[in-house]
Amino acid sequence: MTASNRIWANLRRDRSGMTGLVIVMAFFLIAAGVWLGLLGQGWSLADGGRWEPASAEYWFGTNVLGQDIFQRAIFSVRTAFDIGLLVALLSTALGAVLGAIAGWYSNSWIDGSVLWLKGVLDSIPFYLFVAAVAFALQGKPWAMHVAMIATFWTTTGRLVRAEVMKIKSRDFVLSARAIGLPDLLILARHVLPNTSHILLVQTSIAFVAAIKTEVILSFLGLGVQDGVSWGLMLAESTQEVLAGHFNNFLSASLMLFALLMGFNLLADALQDAFDPAQVSV
Amino acid sequence: MTEAVLKIRNLRVLMQDAGRMVPAVDGISFDLHAGEVLALVGESGCGKTKTAEAIMGLLPRAPASLQTGRIDLEGTDLAVLAESALRKIRGRDLSMVFQEPLTALDPVFTAGSQLAGVFRRHRGSSGAQAREQSINMLQRVGFSDAPRVMQSYPHQLSGGMRQRVVLAMAMACRPRVLIADEPTTSLDVTTQAQVLTQLTDLGRDSGTAILLITHDLGVVAQYCDRALVMHQGKIVEQATVDKLFRSPGDDYTAELLSAVSRSTSP
Amino acid sequence: MQYLLRKSLHGLLLILGVTLVSFILMVWFGPDQTYTLIGKNASAEQIEELRHQLGYDQSFLKRYADYLLSLVTLDLGSSNSSGEAVSRILARTVPVSLALMIPGFILGNLFGIALGLSAARRRGQWVDRVIGGLSVTGMSISFLVIIILLQLLLSTPYGLNLFPVRGWQVVDLPSYLYYVTVPSLSLILVTLGYNTRFYRAVFVEESGKDHITTARAYGVPPAVIMWKHVLKNSMVPIITRIMFSIPLVVISGSLLIETYFGIPGVGKVTFDAITSGDQPILKAVVGLTAVAFVLIQLLTDLFYRLVDPRIA
Repeated sequence: MTASNRIWANLRRDRSGMTGLVIVMAFFLIAAGVWLGLLGQGWSLADGGRWEPASAEYWFGTNVLGQDIFQRAIFSVRTAFDIGLLVALLSTALGAVLGAIAGWYSNSWIDGSVLWLKGVLDSIPFYLFVAAVAFALQGKPWAMHVAMIATFWTTTGRLVRAEVMKIKSRDFVLSARAIGLPDLLILARHVLPNTSHILLVQTSIAFVAAIKTEVILSFLGLGVQDGVSWGLMLAESTQEVLAGHFNNFLSASLMLFALLMGFNLLADALQDAFDPAQVSV
Repeated sequence: MTEAVLKIRNLRVLMQDAGRMVPAVDGISFDLHAGEVLALVGESGCGKTKTAEAIMGLLPRAPASLQTGRIDLEGTDLAVLAESALRKIRGRDLSMVFQEPLTALDPVFTAGSQLAGVFRRHRGSSGAQAREQSINMLQRVGFSDAPRVMQSYPHQLSGGMRQRVVLAMAMACRPRVLIADEPTTSLDVTTQAQVLTQLTDLGRDSGTAILLITHDLGVVAQYCDRALVMHQGKIVEQATVDKLFRSPGDDYTAELLSAVSRSTSP
Repeated sequence: MQYLLRKSLHGLLLILGVTLVSFILMVWFGPDQTYTLIGKNASAEQIEELRHQLGYDQSFLKRYADYLLSLVTLDLGSSNSSGEAVSRILARTVPVSLALMIPGFILGNLFGIALGLSAARRRGQWVDRVIGGLSVTGMSISFLVIIILLQLLLSTPYGLNLFPVRGWQVVDLPSYLYYVTVPSLSLILVTLGYNTRFYRAVFVEESGKDHITTARAYGVPPAVIMWKHVLKNSMVPIITRIMFSIPLVVISGSLLIETYFGIPGVGKVTFDAITSGDQPILKAVVGLTAVAFVLIQLLTDLFYRLVDPRIA
């Protein structure tokens, strides 16, 4: 069997990993449905009574403004994917590029600068950074995304850098250099593809981190501004639950939990499939 | 011939490999007598180390490995012994010296504390007693400055020194059986001779039966009384070292021997 | 000596980097507080006067240099909103944050180590699987959800109603326990999944090393192997993890917890400063964090030397 066939076979045998994949796919379909205008479109309509219990018309009941909690929860799936995909893909890509460059030119000033940048970004308290970026961008809605991408890349960067340092002394790289191929070409076409296992796993992990971060940011008022997200729903629910209204809280937290669980199981399975000898962290 | 201290009967070890169970040791039987040095020879992958691990009870838990057969140590079948009972035997009646001296000792504890630990655990010695016993043992394996070695951390000792510390641990309780798995393969020739001489001298002193696993026929010729030749999990020949070199009974043994003489003749 | 110099240089560059980035984002681009502070019907001169006071009319380099100077001399100024001296604010709030976050942080790591050891010792068996499953579950629950749930279960009539929903009126040990329990529990639960996961991996890796086989071959019982040999050999990654998670967990975590529970610590003060654009406070907090981070790095090196005899 080729390497990728073997990996795929390993993955298929991993029951919890497959469960994770199914869950993620299901949520993705829901998000697609919202994108295409088929689902969750009534999230902002406030035509119900206050805090109505679950009924045939309002599957999860209504919130304090009479909005349909079910619609809001469904729409939030799309919000989660919007943020999660963007942040995960871009931060992993940024980490891959910077990590590869740092690893390739390791122990030079280039490496030093990337490491310094990493250190700086890692030491700034995250919420301060988000707020700062939000101010710098004068309240544009994608401040949150920028802040996340700017800080999440460091983990991927560190892992890719270490891997590239290992790869660059391997034979096929040495031969490529010997025949005079330019460095960047070697990096892009030969070295980086060999880090794809790291990138795949990190993307899943970053997705989870992005969604969790959005939840807290929305609670603090620094997150999603228009539209609805589970974070905003949870923020609404903090006072409500003290008065005995649990629908908002339950729908948001359970759906959030399901999606996060799905991605975590998938990330674990990917890690195991690529390198069963390595202990998953 | 003295009574056999270790009797192996029909030992089989199966290891898990990509979903299937593959035989690493395929039904071997032999005896080990008090005071003798028995060589276990063969090329890498023939099952020598798995045999040692089976005897010591160090194979990975099922289903990663499966084991059948009798391992009789002076009347007790080790193969069916519970782990807690095995722990009492290991280091006291049955001990092992490993192939990699550089990584055999715990890097964050001193050589002395690791050696003393053996005395405390198996002889019930107090701290002070164990320290004294350890210093004695270190002197017996040839250290002239035993107190300094006691205080040293493994990384401060050379490979040969570390191996001698392990040897001290192995012989501390005058075990009935000592298994030495390629104990000198990664050492240089002079240190090799030093360690092997220590090993066999100590064995003779204590009446310990030594199972010396090696792929080096020169070592077999110089230090061992009898030899077992293993090939693909089976024993293909058992003989005294004399007989083995003069008139090997098996084709494989003959090949092994001729390979050595071919590589060393002008 | 040379080593110390190099480390200090790195630390300095780091502090410079952090302060520069934060300064650019928060101060340079920060909200202009002139109009919020001045009230209505101010004359052009009064506006001009206030802007000068707040320093808005100076060049970038000058303002940055002033900032660095103020950090070094610890001349931190006063809050724009309340007028209270920043150093007094910090003196008042930092101890509160520490008292709030430290127990949960330490316990979260201790439990993670203990669970990780148990799981690694029985690798592949049901205990390991259960711990692993619980870890993944813990990693999939949002901090916010945990806080809300714990509040519900412990502080409301829907649950045990033993603890307060908010506040921090700590005068003695019983009142301390009264206010710190729910926040600490939430911190522990949030970090436990990640910690256990990480520590288990470290311990499993260490358990596969040769010297552990030696220990087993000499009859050392499994509990002693894990708690003495594996644990001591894993101290370097453990220390690394604990030290480098301090900025994330303690500092960022305190912001969320204090805001939620209404506890007057550095986190809450920082958050309020963020929303109101109170620059002196923000500058001081950023500077403080940068210095703390460098201190953490130095301490980490020191701890390495203490636990591992191979590090000279």
